[in-house]
Amino acid sequence: MSEPAPASIRVRDLSKRYDAVEAVRGISFDVAAGEIFGLLGRNGAGKTTTLECLLGLRRADAGAIAIAGIDTLAEPQRAKQLVGAQLQAATLQDKITPREALKLFASFYRAPAAIGELIEQFALAEKADAPFDSLSGGQRQRLFLALAFVNRPQIVVLDEPTAGLDPQARRELHQLIAGVRASGRTVLLSTHDLDEAHQLCDRIGILHEGRLVSVAKPAELIARSRATPRLVVRTARPFAPADLPGVVNARQRAEDWLLQTTDTNQTILALAQQLQADKNDLLDLQILRPTLEDAFLELTGESWSAEGPRP
Amino acid sequence: MNDARTLPGLGRHFLLTLRLNFRSTPAIIYGYLVPVLFLLAFGSIFRGDTPPLLPEMGQILTITILGGACFGLPTALVAERERGVWRRYRLLPVPTGSLVASTLVSRLVIVASSVLLQIVLARFIYGTPLPQHPVQFLAAFFFVTFAFLGLGLLVAALADDVPAVQALGQCLFLPMILIGGVGVPLAALPAWAQRVAGFMPGRYAVEALQRCITDSRGLAGAGFALAALAVIGFAAGAIGAKLFRWETGRRLSHAGYIWVATALLAWLAVGAAAAFTGRLEPLPPFGANYEAITDAQIDRITYDDLPGDNELVTRLAPPFKTAADTARVAGFLAQLKSWPPSHLDDPAENIRHLVSLATVADITADLREAEIARAVFDELRARFDRDTLRRVLAWIILNPDDGTVVTKAPELGVRRHPPERLIRERLPLYAKKYLGRVLGKIRD
Repeated sequence: MSEPAPASIRVRDLSKRYDAVEAVRGISFDVAAGEIFGLLGRNGAGKTTTLECLLGLRRADAGAIAIAGIDTLAEPQRAKQLVGAQLQAATLQDKITPREALKLFASFYRAPAAIGELIEQFALAEKADAPFDSLSGGQRQRLFLALAFVNRPQIVVLDEPTAGLDPQARRELHQLIAGVRASGRTVLLSTHDLDEAHQLCDRIGILHEGRLVSVAKPAELIARSRATPRLVVRTARPFAPADLPGVVNARQRAEDWLLQTTDTNQTILALAQQLQADKNDLLDLQILRPTLEDAFLELTGESWSAEGPRP
Repeated sequence: MNDARTLPGLGRHFLLTLRLNFRSTPAIIYGYLVPVLFLLAFGSIFRGDTPPLLPEMGQILTITILGGACFGLPTALVAERERGVWRRYRLLPVPTGSLVASTLVSRLVIVASSVLLQIVLARFIYGTPLPQHPVQFLAAFFFVTFAFLGLGLLVAALADDVPAVQALGQCLFLPMILIGGVGVPLAALPAWAQRVAGFMPGRYAVEALQRCITDSRGLAGAGFALAALAVIGFAAGAIGAKLFRWETGRRLSHAGYIWVATALLAWLAVGAAAAFTGRLEPLPPFGANYEAITDAQIDRITYDDLPGDNELVTRLAPPFKTAADTARVAGFLAQLKSWPPSHLDDPAENIRHLVSLATVADITADLREAEIARAVFDELRARFDRDTLRRVLAWIILNPDDGTVVTKAPELGVRRHPPERLIRERLPLYAKKYLGRVLGKIRD
């Protein structure tokens, strides 16, 4: 067994309350150096509060946070030197240009990145000297991501980095974040997007009502889930799903059937035999493996929706 | 500070704040264009002054500083806060307070540039003279801007959004403009409003600036006004900084409102101190004359700041006892009795002309200056009853710019011709020497 990588971020028993609302309830987790760790949860689950405590924007009511071994409460300025962050829903002054913003933020750090390189890396060259209010949503998001890198951070914290972006801009941003891992940095991101979490993260922590209900690799989360695979079957004429072995639940939809099975192989084999015997045609067959959504449903007891429970 | 990069960072933040101000159309309109409109409005009303606009410059510049500090600063701060800029700044490895300080310094520079523009425009459009005491003017400017930036910081802490800044800013701006001696001159206000103005910083701002612009003594005697500005500015600024909010959505706590009330207590304290030290006595209204002078006003006049009778300035010969004493002014004495400028209908004009005659002789270093001053005093006592004399002399002391003065008297052998401004500055000194003697407070 290999030695575990040293923890880049260590959170212990973190709690934060806003008046009557307990936003974060004693969560603990470690993020290893060079890892992309995702905090997954619906709006209001406590993701942003956790990140804000870590970044020094909020004072935790209880618990401890260490960044590269530095206690963020005791030495906030030293910890801030090591962290780059992109915040949710932030904008800049209308008339500031990306180059000015990058130079301004870089000037506060001991070992800033080269501004020209950041502009190239985050594809901002075209708008480097244009006012902020003329930037598109994707360009703004790339600028904020670039700002998170002005201090050559060891640790990058991204709060919902792709929220509000079109699919093209999202894809570009995913590539950039994957590139960050390649450079050996640690990334802690929050998202309420299951696909994003699955694609980007080495490990995921699922937050639900301020509690961390599970921490694992995406594949492990799915494998641990008791959810069964599902088959989507469309035939030329009706067939008898209840007769198929392994099927525990069958639901007829507008044009097809959705079958939940405990034994995919046996069910498909029996289906093929039944169709052949009846001289029925198979028009479509899909196997739906359990997803992160299924794992989430199982862990939280609630079906997935980014918005969180309705009041 | 554990980080060597703080200073370059703050320097860049300071410069960028300036640059962004000049890129913002609203900032240019409110910071520069509106003050210029005030200047032109004042100019069209007071163009008859000689020299034009000089007595109003303190008011015009106070309006400029008030606008830049109480509106401009909080508008910029709150707009940045609403956009999440300050939330982003919080991630930097420097204390947020240092960035607030850098914002304040850049606002000071912005306000200074607007004040300079007003002074230059007034000079070119109306020929208004430049401030008499440039260095003291700079000091007064710092005090006034300090006080109003403090208030601006408090407004930023109180306001949840930019419209709230406008509303709160108006709550400060309008009372000072209307009844605080800033928009409407103090002397044109009813007595109650003048007293209320004593509780507001605007009055002291106008006083401090105006003294450096027109008063030969500059800031000497403006100690109370400067202290009032410092106290109000410090209370508001310290509490504004304490309550500074770097993100929207957090309401001010109940304790916060108590702190705001504490900041406003400074206004009460200043007003009370002004009342206690007799500074809230109303100025005579426009068109009033020496008859409006009260015994209380006469009693409050002090005589400790007078130069001696044998010193260079305001010489006064001892009482004439022998013919030898008057030998040098024999001809002068004969002519003085029938000197036409002292035989007009209004006793106040007559007395002022006589006092200004002594002043002209003094300023021009007439060889007979001490005897002329004594002869004028004798003439005053001989010709006017004691009550009229004490009221008119007090009036001259309190209102040295009122009425007319003589600037030369060649018919009496006083031929040289000093500027009227100098005469008006020195006039109260002789008036005090005479009044002190009339009241028995100065021994001959």
